[in-house]
Amino acid sequence: MQANTVDGPVIEFCDVAYALPNGQPLLSRLNLQVHRGETLVLLGRSGSGKTTTLKLINRLLNPSAGEVRVNGAPTAVSDVIRLRRSIGYVIQDVGLFPHFTVEKNIGLVPRIEGWTAERIHRRVEELLQLVGLEVQMASRYPHQLSGGQRQRVGVARALAADPAILLMDEPFGALDALTRDQLQREFSSLQRRLNKTVVFVTHDLREALRLGSRIALMESGRLVTVLSPEDFLRSNDPLAAAYVRAFGNGLDSVANRGEP
Amino acid sequence: MTLLHFLLQNHDQVLELTLEHLWLVGVSTLLAVLVGIPLGILSAHWPVWNKPVLGTANIIQTIPSLALFGFLLPVPWLGDRADRLAILALTLYALLPVIRNTYTGIRGVDPAVVEAGRGMGLTDGQLLLQVELPLALSVILSGVRVAVVVSVGLATIAAAIGAGGLGEFIFRGLAMVNNQLILAGAIPAAVLALSADFGLGWLEKRLQPR
Amino acid sequence: MKLDWHRSHCGIFKSGRGNSICLILVALLLSSCASSRSDRIVVGSKNFTESLILGELLAQHLEANTHLKVERRFYLAGSYICQQAVLTGRIDMYPEYTGTALTAILKQKVGGDKAQVYQRVKSEYEARLGLTLGPPFGFNDTFAMEIRGDDARRLGVKTLSQAATFAAQWRAGFGYEFMERPDGYAGLAAAYGLHFAVPPRVMDLGLLAPALKDHQIDIAAGNATDGLIPALDLFVLEDDRHYFPPYEAVAVIRQQTLHQHPEVAQAIAELGGKISDREMQQLNYALDGQHRDVKDVAHEFLRSKGLVH
Repeated sequence: MQANTVDGPVIEFCDVAYALPNGQPLLSRLNLQVHRGETLVLLGRSGSGKTTTLKLINRLLNPSAGEVRVNGAPTAVSDVIRLRRSIGYVIQDVGLFPHFTVEKNIGLVPRIEGWTAERIHRRVEELLQLVGLEVQMASRYPHQLSGGQRQRVGVARALAADPAILLMDEPFGALDALTRDQLQREFSSLQRRLNKTVVFVTHDLREALRLGSRIALMESGRLVTVLSPEDFLRSNDPLAAAYVRAFGNGLDSVANRGEP
Repeated sequence: MTLLHFLLQNHDQVLELTLEHLWLVGVSTLLAVLVGIPLGILSAHWPVWNKPVLGTANIIQTIPSLALFGFLLPVPWLGDRADRLAILALTLYALLPVIRNTYTGIRGVDPAVVEAGRGMGLTDGQLLLQVELPLALSVILSGVRVAVVVSVGLATIAAAIGAGGLGEFIFRGLAMVNNQLILAGAIPAAVLALSADFGLGWLEKRLQPR
Repeated sequence: MKLDWHRSHCGIFKSGRGNSICLILVALLLSSCASSRSDRIVVGSKNFTESLILGELLAQHLEANTHLKVERRFYLAGSYICQQAVLTGRIDMYPEYTGTALTAILKQKVGGDKAQVYQRVKSEYEARLGLTLGPPFGFNDTFAMEIRGDDARRLGVKTLSQAATFAAQWRAGFGYEFMERPDGYAGLAAAYGLHFAVPPRVMDLGLLAPALKDHQIDIAAGNATDGLIPALDLFVLEDDRHYFPPYEAVAVIRQQTLHQHPEVAQAIAELGGKISDREMQQLNYALDGQHRDVKDVAHEFLRSKGLVH
């Protein structure tokens, strides 16, 4: 099974459906493609199915119907551990291991993958600088960090093994507005440097407009439309228009992609 | 003769019985840990096992200890040696606190931590050994502490069926109506229980996750 | 940076290693404890008077006739406990009864006379349990059917078979255990064709002798070596059909102890056959009836037999 390299979509959903064990459907007939190097934002309110869609990519959930493909290979037949290790995962509550230092947190996957201590150490320093933290932070424990610092470590941890794909589930949702704004800007510039393929879940249109190269609007388990930020603002689709209305003023400046 | 004088004069016997007591408690606690922690992990990860495992341990707990000793006496291999029997009974009684605390400890790990770990590509084994167990360790140890303290007390009853230990002083003292002998068994046993409680409690605090 | 991981896990390592060190220490101490007993012998006994006396006799005799230090672990609560103690080496010997050893410990059925029961127990103990028996002390503490001395003389009754003819006119009194055991009253009545006019009265063992004396009952089931038998002028009927199993008192000893201290075998052999039924009754009475100290009573007896000086 030759993995798709340059041309095909990095992530592909083919007629994917997901239902809970009790039969309640959370996703139906999802068809979606994520291209290399883009930041696809899954936008929707709670219950729209956006987090479910995200978790189908790294097989934290398995589809009830249809097929999910990563790099051309169906996730169902791939080794789930290898799959997850090749994908970075960042969640809202961060989930840092409280009994490990920052360095141990970031270096966990590399350590399991058998990197030398030297290599891990260099990588941790590199990542800390990348996410805007001081190198001395490496020896601190999560409970000694602020919310924003923790999420930066979370991102660093996700990037540790240099995955090509990054999944982010409302990563800045639990932070205060100032910190959120700062991290969004930094994420933008980071993404321009690293050019990862990112799938980003949010319910905040401003965040979607700022960070996404395309926005996939979801509602009640269905994909409503996929548009670029500019097209989204001008869209006639009733739901998209409703979102634009709901988020009101200041969207124009946001659509300028927020320069620092 | 004061109690202290008595203990010093019979220090051979006191030491021998104390070591027998420690042996009974030590081996049974070790077995309870070896069996109970995996069972606790099982019931934490697969909730379908929760009721049968905890339920069985609970039922065992309700059997009066002396009754359990007597009940096991006629069993062929066990009944031949009272210390084997006592160790089995003590292990059974130590299971519930160990299983229950392992279950609670593992379920008490922050779900975000488990999700992040799983999403990162940790195998179930790696997640268990590197994340869940270390974070649950303090709670598990608390269960072991309870098990040890209870075992020290139960082991004194084991002397009633000839398993030795400090309880022998107590039972002989009762038959002879000799208070010194009774205290020579009761006080060291109490000291053992308190030391275990204190020592393990200290260890527990040290291992608490930040 | 590496140290942090170790530091966070340090507690676990410490406790893990610490635990194994503790276990090793305990094991070492235990084994050294056992070997440090090379110069002392532990004598056990059960928790009733007769066993206590026998234990004390053994202890004093060993002290006087060997160079060994003797430690006493008396008042162990019952045959099972004594058996466990002697099997695991916590005691080196204790006084037991052949009938009890056969039924309660070896779990076999009784049969045969005194000598046969003794042999069976001795060979089983030696073959399977690493234990052996000393020679019988000389008395048989079996069940005793007692009647008033007056009645015995007046009616010319000596055996149970003879007594059976008077059973219809007598009231019987038994202890709870005798009533319950299949080898107690039920078997006795069958063996001798005993038919009492009214069902036997069940009462506390301690109350049987006084009740007999006061003519509240006419025949009771006691122990052959009861101290009160000579004191109250009671007569023990002969078990001519050999219904009751023999309960000869013997010392149960660890074979390992005899290997390590051969002089012990010699000393115990000297006690063989030295105590008759009547003498045991008197010794029991000295403690239960006269409340004398067991050490004095034992010493006196050993002197009277020329075993100590």
